[in-house]
Amino acid sequence: MSAAVYLEGITKRFPGVVANDEVDLEVEEGSIHALLGENGAGKTTLMNVLYGLYQPDGGTVHLDGEPREFETPRDAIDAGVGMIHQHFMLVDTLTTAENIVLGHEPRKWGGLAIDRVRADREVRELSRRYGFDVDPEARVENVSVGVQQRVEILKALYGGADVLILDEPTAVLTPQEVADLFEVFDELAAEDKTIIFITHKLGEAMEAADDITVLRNGKNVGTVDADATTREELAELMVGREVLLEADKEPADPGAVGLAVSDLRVTDDRGVEQVRGVDIDAREGEVFGIAGVDGNGQSELVEAVTGLRTPESGRVEIGGEDVTDRSRRERIDAGMAYIPEDRQERGLVMEFDLVENGLLGSQHTSEFAAGGRIDWEHTREHAEEIIAEYDVRPPNADAESASLSGGNQQKFIVGREFARDPDVIVASHPTRGVDVGSIEFIHDRLLDLRRAGKTVLLVSSKLDEVQQLSDRLGVMHEGELVDVVDPDRVTEEELGLLMAGETPEDAPSIADPPGGDR
Amino acid sequence: MSYADTSRKRRWLLGAVGLVVAALIAIEVLFPANPFTGLAVVLLTLVTDPNYVGSVLRLTVPIAFAALGGIFAEKSGVINIGLEGLLIISAFTSIAVAATLGGGTPSQFDLWVAFGVAVLASVLFALLFAVVCIEYKADQIIAGLAVWLIALGLAPFASKVIWGQVNSPPIATLNDWTVPVLSEIPFFGPVLFDANPTVYMLLVAVAASWYTLNRTAFGRWIEASGENPKALDTVGVDVRKVRYAGVLLSGLFSGIGGAGLALGRVGQFIGGGTTMINGRGWIGITAYLFGNYNPLGAFGASFLFASLDALQIRLQQLGYSIPSELIGIIPYVTVVVVLAFVGRTQIPDAAGEHYDSGED
Repeated sequence: MSAAVYLEGITKRFPGVVANDEVDLEVEEGSIHALLGENGAGKTTLMNVLYGLYQPDGGTVHLDGEPREFETPRDAIDAGVGMIHQHFMLVDTLTTAENIVLGHEPRKWGGLAIDRVRADREVRELSRRYGFDVDPEARVENVSVGVQQRVEILKALYGGADVLILDEPTAVLTPQEVADLFEVFDELAAEDKTIIFITHKLGEAMEAADDITVLRNGKNVGTVDADATTREELAELMVGREVLLEADKEPADPGAVGLAVSDLRVTDDRGVEQVRGVDIDAREGEVFGIAGVDGNGQSELVEAVTGLRTPESGRVEIGGEDVTDRSRRERIDAGMAYIPEDRQERGLVMEFDLVENGLLGSQHTSEFAAGGRIDWEHTREHAEEIIAEYDVRPPNADAESASLSGGNQQKFIVGREFARDPDVIVASHPTRGVDVGSIEFIHDRLLDLRRAGKTVLLVSSKLDEVQQLSDRLGVMHEGELVDVVDPDRVTEEELGLLMAGETPEDAPSIADPPGGDR
Repeated sequence: MSYADTSRKRRWLLGAVGLVVAALIAIEVLFPANPFTGLAVVLLTLVTDPNYVGSVLRLTVPIAFAALGGIFAEKSGVINIGLEGLLIISAFTSIAVAATLGGGTPSQFDLWVAFGVAVLASVLFALLFAVVCIEYKADQIIAGLAVWLIALGLAPFASKVIWGQVNSPPIATLNDWTVPVLSEIPFFGPVLFDANPTVYMLLVAVAASWYTLNRTAFGRWIEASGENPKALDTVGVDVRKVRYAGVLLSGLFSGIGGAGLALGRVGQFIGGGTTMINGRGWIGITAYLFGNYNPLGAFGASFLFASLDALQIRLQQLGYSIPSELIGIIPYVTVVVVLAFVGRTQIPDAAGEHYDSGED
């Protein structure tokens, strides 16, 4: 029997990145397959290739043993592939039945009118067959997200889909809805439908899937049987280990608390609580690391700390001063620098040249804009200093930021932020997508700041990075800081367990920073 | 917006209306000699006068047709604020063609030919707008304004070329159609069954529009195209085609509205100032917003605004001096109040946004 879906050596490149690097994926008919990996591992890209949204740069898509070429999603739908996106493709103002039959409406009176009775009946029958509870007459805007997702699944089935792709289907659901969804998966698989779902939660992959394929950095790093694998194995496959870069680090000499976060609760844009009561007391002269699988609340935590997102409750203090209600600018003025995780979205204005980008965040200070007029000469000198000191290439202050490589963009951001002479540095994935040389450089600069008695909060999903640079390492899982450990003594296995939400027995927990009392 | 919010706001509105009515009754009881009493009597006589209601219906024609057209365009995702311009184009074209065909005394046949040509002109103008917005992704608001401004300049200019002045000489209008027997019914007979053909067309168009939008597949596609075009695209319906259809329908309806006003009521093209259309296209937009994109609601709102217009004329004739400008702003104030405070109007999610198939 040939596989229902066989992706052979799929390669997909985007400018500057290889999103999929010769990925193979085989999914049996009637099975449930989880595609597991961190954000940016290439899961969604791979599925978009299967769904015809992207054309691969190499490799072949096979369905039921036949090589296929999908130029548009339409081709994929016609071939029986349905995709349920993270953002539902539903028309809120129509009923569930109208959404399900959209584009394939049963007609009456010679095609003039929709046969609504038949549409409702067909939707009811389809819904009953898979054990769904969907009211055909309810308006989509009035039903829960879980039901909307079922409407999406029904829509794909009504359109004749045999292969269902779901992109992070559990991200928007409550735990009960997640359990229901997994039951739906079983019902569908029993009807010989093939299911591929994307997730970065290893527990879900193990619970719902028959087989799990792990992607990392665009590569398939292994396909395992869900019943035969362990959380630790999956965590290791997901995060992986990169070449250890040695950083010189003398013992910490921690001082007063530089950045304090207490009982912080933060919700995301959808209103789901992502940070659930986190406490952090990062000290001067210390690097406080936060490890965890992406999507466990780190982004929201960083946004709340830096002033980009208003927390629901809790406090943020810089040097003992409550800044919870302060704006982003006031936090910059209070001595907080920020290296954002997405440099193109938040770090730089891509259409600006480096002179202008170097000014960002300081445009209101008397140093650059005394009397409300920008001192361009000084601004240019400032940018040129950053370029020289941080080895930004090409060394041209007039270059548009978009023309620089990712590593050089990042070096420029790091230079600009450190040039503020900050007391507190929040670095979120500071070396993501950066070449090895720049990584080392950025690490050294962070350690320089630590040496100078500054407070560093470092968030990264790279284990070697947080383990090497941190003096204390907090592990986040589902919005909670599950433990704070000594990075020098914790083992890889223990970290893997903590990141998976389990408590290993002898984890070297530390409440207070080392050095002072040890 | 949840249902509960909407119903709460409705209760507020009802409460506010009730309060005003109660205050008016109180004034009547406490001060029998107040100046409002005479006005109230006049109003009561007017709304029960079939002649008045009939003339309101005629005034409703251009507003309601523009509103119907606007509904189709905007529901499909293309905001067409050029309705005023389309009305001007078709009003001018209808008179120009009728005058060319029959000189000062065109026959009924000439008038109907002129009517058809005028509708065609409006549809062609709408097609131009559609191409610019859908194919070339121009900003819909700017393109709509351009349609209006071009029409506002072009029509009087062409008038000057043809007649040597911005106004055309007066010509005959379309005869009323009297339905036998039914027109004998008291009040409703003269209003509904002894009326201008454009009024009949409007009543049919309102019903047909409601049916199309609510009961046909095309209507659902129009809705999907304006709310979530990607949802429509991924099930294999061409969003571009649906939007073209929506905009062309706005041209068709505006064409009927403009020609209906010129040939059914005025019998002349007046090109000075804001032209004879005089903002009726804009009021059409406020009417469909007030009617929440429902053809029946839009018709009701158009009727209401038209009756204010007719009322103002009547009151002036009766010696009450209410500045016409004050009456003229009522539709716009109403729509601001409705949009800002009542919140009942739900603008399509993707209205005004370009849609590119294949974009992720």
